[in-house]
Amino acid sequence: MKNILTLIIAFFILSSCSDDFVEVTPPFAVNDETFFQGEEDYVNALIASYDILQSTYVNVMTSEIASDNVNAGGESPTDVIGWQQIDQMAHTPINQQLRDVWNYNFAGVQRAGFIIQNQDRADFEGKTQIIAEARLLRAYFNFQLVKFFGGIPIKPQGQFQLGEELTIPRSSVEDVYAYIEDDLLFAVENMDMASQDPYRFNRLAAHALLGKVYLYEEKFTEAAEQLSQVIDSGAFHLYGTQGEEDYEDLFEFIAENGPESVLEIQYTGVQGAGFDCLQCSEGNVMVGFSGVRGYNGPVFESGFGFVLPTEEMYNAFTPNDLRRDVSILDIEAWAAETGASFNVGNQDSETGHTGYYNRKYIPRINDNQPDVNLTQPNNYRAIRYADVLLMAAEALNRGGLDDELALDYVNQVRNRAGLSDVQANGSQLLDIIYNERKLELVGEGHRFFDLVRTGRASQSIEGFSTDKHEVFPIPLEEIQFSQGRWEQNQGY
Amino acid sequence: MLKNYLFIVFCIMSLSMSAQTIDISGTVIDGGSQIPLPDANVQVEGTEKGASTDFDGVFTLTGVPSDGTLVVSYLGFVTQKIPIDGKTTFEVVLQPDTEALEDVVVIGYGQSSKRNISGSVSKVGAADIKKLDPINAAQSLQGTAAGVNVTPQGGSPGAEANIRIRGVATNGDASPLIILDGFQYDGGLNSINPQDIENITVLKDAQAAIYGTIASNGVILVTTKSGKRNQSAKFEYQTYYGFQETTRELPLLNATEYALLLNESYANSGQTSPIQNLSGLGRGTDWQDEIFEVAPIMNHNLSIRGGSEKTSYSFSGSLLDQDGIVGGDKSSFVRKTASLSIDTDLNDKLNFKTKLFYTNQESKGLNTFGLGSVLFNAINMAPTIGAGVDNLDGEIDLGNEVVNPITQIRNTYNESVNNRLSGTVQATYDYADNLNIQARLGFNRNGTEFREFIPVFNYGPGKVFNRLEDNLVNQNKIINNDYTFDLFNTYSNTFEDIHDVTFLLGMTVYKSFGEGLFGSRTGVPSNSFDFADIGTATGAGENNTAGSYAYDVRRLSYFGRLEYTLDDKYLFSAMLRRDSSTRFGPNNRVGYFPSITSGWIISDENFFPQSDNIDFLKLRASYGIMGNDRIGDFLYLSLLTGQATYANGEDGLVNGIAQGPIPNPNAQWEEAVKTDFGLDLRLFNNKVNFTFDYYRNDTDKLLISNIPVSGIFGSSAPGASSPTINAGKVRNQGLEFELNYSDNITDDFSFGAGFNIATIQNEVLSIRGADFVEGGAFGVGQPLPSRMEVGQPIGYFYGLRTDGIFQSQAEVDAHPSQAGLGATAQPGDIRYVDSNGDGVINADDRVKVGNPIPDFTFGFNLSLNYKNFDMNTYVFGNLGNDIVRNYERDQPNVNQLGYRLDRWTGPGTSSTVPRATTSATANKVFSDFFVEDGSFARIQTIALGYTFEENLLQKIGLKQLRIYGKIDNVYTFTDYTGYDPTASSGAPIGSGIDFGFYPLPRTYIVGLNANF
Repeated sequence: MKNILTLIIAFFILSSCSDDFVEVTPPFAVNDETFFQGEEDYVNALIASYDILQSTYVNVMTSEIASDNVNAGGESPTDVIGWQQIDQMAHTPINQQLRDVWNYNFAGVQRAGFIIQNQDRADFEGKTQIIAEARLLRAYFNFQLVKFFGGIPIKPQGQFQLGEELTIPRSSVEDVYAYIEDDLLFAVENMDMASQDPYRFNRLAAHALLGKVYLYEEKFTEAAEQLSQVIDSGAFHLYGTQGEEDYEDLFEFIAENGPESVLEIQYTGVQGAGFDCLQCSEGNVMVGFSGVRGYNGPVFESGFGFVLPTEEMYNAFTPNDLRRDVSILDIEAWAAETGASFNVGNQDSETGHTGYYNRKYIPRINDNQPDVNLTQPNNYRAIRYADVLLMAAEALNRGGLDDELALDYVNQVRNRAGLSDVQANGSQLLDIIYNERKLELVGEGHRFFDLVRTGRASQSIEGFSTDKHEVFPIPLEEIQFSQGRWEQNQGY
Repeated sequence: MLKNYLFIVFCIMSLSMSAQTIDISGTVIDGGSQIPLPDANVQVEGTEKGASTDFDGVFTLTGVPSDGTLVVSYLGFVTQKIPIDGKTTFEVVLQPDTEALEDVVVIGYGQSSKRNISGSVSKVGAADIKKLDPINAAQSLQGTAAGVNVTPQGGSPGAEANIRIRGVATNGDASPLIILDGFQYDGGLNSINPQDIENITVLKDAQAAIYGTIASNGVILVTTKSGKRNQSAKFEYQTYYGFQETTRELPLLNATEYALLLNESYANSGQTSPIQNLSGLGRGTDWQDEIFEVAPIMNHNLSIRGGSEKTSYSFSGSLLDQDGIVGGDKSSFVRKTASLSIDTDLNDKLNFKTKLFYTNQESKGLNTFGLGSVLFNAINMAPTIGAGVDNLDGEIDLGNEVVNPITQIRNTYNESVNNRLSGTVQATYDYADNLNIQARLGFNRNGTEFREFIPVFNYGPGKVFNRLEDNLVNQNKIINNDYTFDLFNTYSNTFEDIHDVTFLLGMTVYKSFGEGLFGSRTGVPSNSFDFADIGTATGAGENNTAGSYAYDVRRLSYFGRLEYTLDDKYLFSAMLRRDSSTRFGPNNRVGYFPSITSGWIISDENFFPQSDNIDFLKLRASYGIMGNDRIGDFLYLSLLTGQATYANGEDGLVNGIAQGPIPNPNAQWEEAVKTDFGLDLRLFNNKVNFTFDYYRNDTDKLLISNIPVSGIFGSSAPGASSPTINAGKVRNQGLEFELNYSDNITDDFSFGAGFNIATIQNEVLSIRGADFVEGGAFGVGQPLPSRMEVGQPIGYFYGLRTDGIFQSQAEVDAHPSQAGLGATAQPGDIRYVDSNGDGVINADDRVKVGNPIPDFTFGFNLSLNYKNFDMNTYVFGNLGNDIVRNYERDQPNVNQLGYRLDRWTGPGTSSTVPRATTSATANKVFSDFFVEDGSFARIQTIALGYTFEENLLQKIGLKQLRIYGKIDNVYTFTDYTGYDPTASSGAPIGSGIDFGFYPLPRTYIVGLNANF
């Protein structure tokens, strides 16, 4: 009797401290606690971070539409209303495209942060290279975010956890830049010169991005130093200046990952995609969206007719500038020449049809998977060597470092476009550099932020309000999620 | 205290000494089975003198007072008092006390009596189950227990039923917990042989809180039959045979009507009709006639029950074989069950009990749900096409989904075999006075093997069912295991005659684990099901795929319950359960679930007016907190199920690994706060039984999956999604009435009737972080029609409101533009209401257009016995719910329902049915045009039986024989135009949408019950 009672009591006591009975992990499934066992896991997580680069299409289209280069276009004046509003500088905190920019780039920050947060879980040769690449990617996404939104919430040690939207405030722009610099300095110190796989970035890509970041911060000496690492490496040259290369092919498939590709984002059309998840597409969504509506003819495929260069943009090129016809497709002339047919969508005078298309990134005939408008395989050259030369020239000039070298870089770019050398220095040279940037980089998403960082936006962009439009509004939903702890940007 | 007792006993003894004493003997007989009752208690009233009957039911007593009184009692029989009056031999016939047995109510880890229970409990007894004689045990709750709503998942053989107790309070799994003889049973009621069931008890309020985190959807306790002690083997054989038919065919157009309407719709669009020659079309093919058939059903059941002095046993076996009313031998359900139960006293203090259940189910099924189902094809197939046309090449274009349903049936090959072994082993030890401890292990092991073959077949150009290149075999094997280990100690005592105390303390360990393995392969030889096996097939690479999953869910619980009754009038119980579960996040690993119930038997009070009319009146109140842990596994963990695909620069892909849905470390159970006030009333010598309840269930921390969160967490990444967060609150409240009347009018005629009705009012009280949650489906490519939104019932229908038909262009012009819906309106089109008054009609004008939750559910039953005849009928129904008609394909050439004949053809011709046209219209946009009143009343059962006279039977060795005839699903009163108003898809957001519901069959059976 007593024994049994003792047994019962013992059982209850024993079992009462066994809540660990319910501490189990999902059988045979990989979760974040069982991941990061070795190199393979880290590489797999790194691929996941590269994956988000493909959503860069929304950054490029949105900033290009915001600039004075192009009209929004589309089917009608209300097609993708978010872009139409941005084209007219009438955007508000309710804007799906701006929300996409926020969401996609933070998704990239989170995926890179997953690796960085767990960097000490395993040790193997080459781990530092992977961590460095993850920090480069995180810097890329954070740089997008700070350009679009100014100060953002940051968490250098790793991933945001649910609830931290209420505890982590927006950092100052300076702090975000310091964080980006920190990541990129780690990257340039620890990455190999050669990329580990054709799709992965190398140390020179990190130098180029860091140089660009310094330029945005107007740290000209540091910018010039980083960019000269890229130039002096001899790894790149302007496409069309050597061997059999033809400048006209710069934006064709043949020149992808070529001598001018410093930081290039990879796309392919071998996998289908749908509108319910544009960021899931392995193709370049920007390309299909920028195509000529209802196009039927040679070389190109049809698209949705967004990002339409303006007539002023077209006319900014001198007729002998080879870049004009590489950058911009004059559809009327093309149709007359080739017999191609096409439709006109949005005919609004402010945002609609111009007769010009962003030839750099419109679809070429290829056999991509459906929905073919979303899976165009054209790679995006996020940083081209020509951009590096012009950024270096700007840093050398504005930093008062070396106008002669700056002029040499500018003339390299001009010569490739079939233009002759110019002679200038000081502010005159700076104006030339700015103009060459506009012409060289039209349709690539750089113009708006170039204008903003150099204080020239209000004189160039119609409707631009100083002290407001330098940054875009934080999405209303995000303000609500933070319960007002993230303050809205000035003027919105 | 003890002294007092001794004094009284002494006094009585001394009194009895003064009378004359004699020796007596006798036998005690079971009045039911007419066999002797061993171990019955025979006591001389007021003395300690007494004896037990021996194995032959015989007792002897010496020295009893000749003027005394014998008290003869046996558990489960009506106690008899017999004056001795100087007699020396007695034959005592004890009548079974059916009421006493019925009065026992199981309440989880113990039992109580109907009289003393203070929670809201419904019980369906063996008598009801026997009369209903259901194929699926769940049907015995339909219309018999107030507040319990049972909706079958379809009429296909073997279909399960959705059971909802007091409404829907979650958008996850809303089905109640099923406890079979004490252990958690996840097999569904359909896998239990209905004839094995002794009774079903439904715990509807805080009474269920002893089950803590698994109790919030209510608890259904199934008790199976056991043998009786001291009873020779009792054989019972039941069988029935019958056939089934459809209750309804939809009114569809015949070939000529179809062609005329088609020509009109093309002409209205300025196009040429695909059917030019109408002569000789006649009625064409009636596709419903082609696929519906009369299908047989058959059941056998044999049980043997009995027991000795220390042991009782029960064995049963059953076979059910049911074919479908669509698809003949391609649609069938065969259920074989066996059960064994043994209950034995190992010694005076130790009892051992085991029950084992084996179920084997084999089923074959057709595609019965939604777009692409056999019925959907039968409804939409053109009547001009011959029944034998397998390949629709060259026939009128019916879109990519509609194919010949007969061909579809012929090309359907699948079989599913399910083997389940469940059981419980239990030991009870009375280790001290008033104390016992029970240890119990319940287990389930359930294996499912599924095989499906899809042959190479061409249904016609572009058909989605086509397999042109390769056939395919799919195979699954799934093993589910669980065990429940209970250990609990019960103390029960009475103090000073008026304080009844029962105290329970225990623990439960639950573990559920299993895995699934599935694969598919092309290249089955000879394009034949005979060789449909992954091993035999020859496909390679992407044509040979495999997948798997595994799970492990555990729960550890401690619980206590104190039941206290004062003076047999004041009832009180309090419960507390502590649960920890693998499903809860690390921040909420442990939950506590308290509850109290109380009752007051007011009719026993002295101040209560003594009236012959009121026999019993009890007031009840209960309050408690319960949980729902069926929330999905490991919501708190970050599983690496995301998409991580990048281009590798050479036109190929490189795949990595990424995080999937965002984890929620705070994930926890849904929590229901349940309040109930009720009363039980018995009138007129217990002939009338009345129960009333008011209930309010507030379910808080409702889990909402994929709820929007800040973008900084990365939910926009491919393959990622927002977390599942406890963010909603829903209230269900209502009233329940149950009224039962039974009376023996004469010796030959008895009569019983029961009526119950319940109201449900469902309202979403809050959703944190989202304005609404959408669900359901309507048409193809249309917005989701069902919503969960604050202030509305969960899953209400959200669409446009209609206002008749435009009769003229002037009316169209005077109305806000409907172009925003996709097409400019013309005369004959549906006129929609500009609900938000902004001058245009578009998706922003959607409002509430219906509610799938009934306002009232009711049941009615009637039983008559006249001499040897018995007659029973059961009726149940819903009032006030809406159903969405969603089985018409939106395609210009498919067949149409009969109501289309009343279409608009010119001003004044119709104000309800829009014009016929093939042009783009906004008439197919989800609106109240597609919402119908789903109210119904169904005569579920009419049964007529005849029981033979016993003396006739004895000659052929039978103790009892009843033959009967029964019709199930006799008739349904409803305005609903679809097949069956009991249609339900079950999902809380998205229920009440009819995708071409497989109608429940009407069944005619004849059967017999024999005891020997």
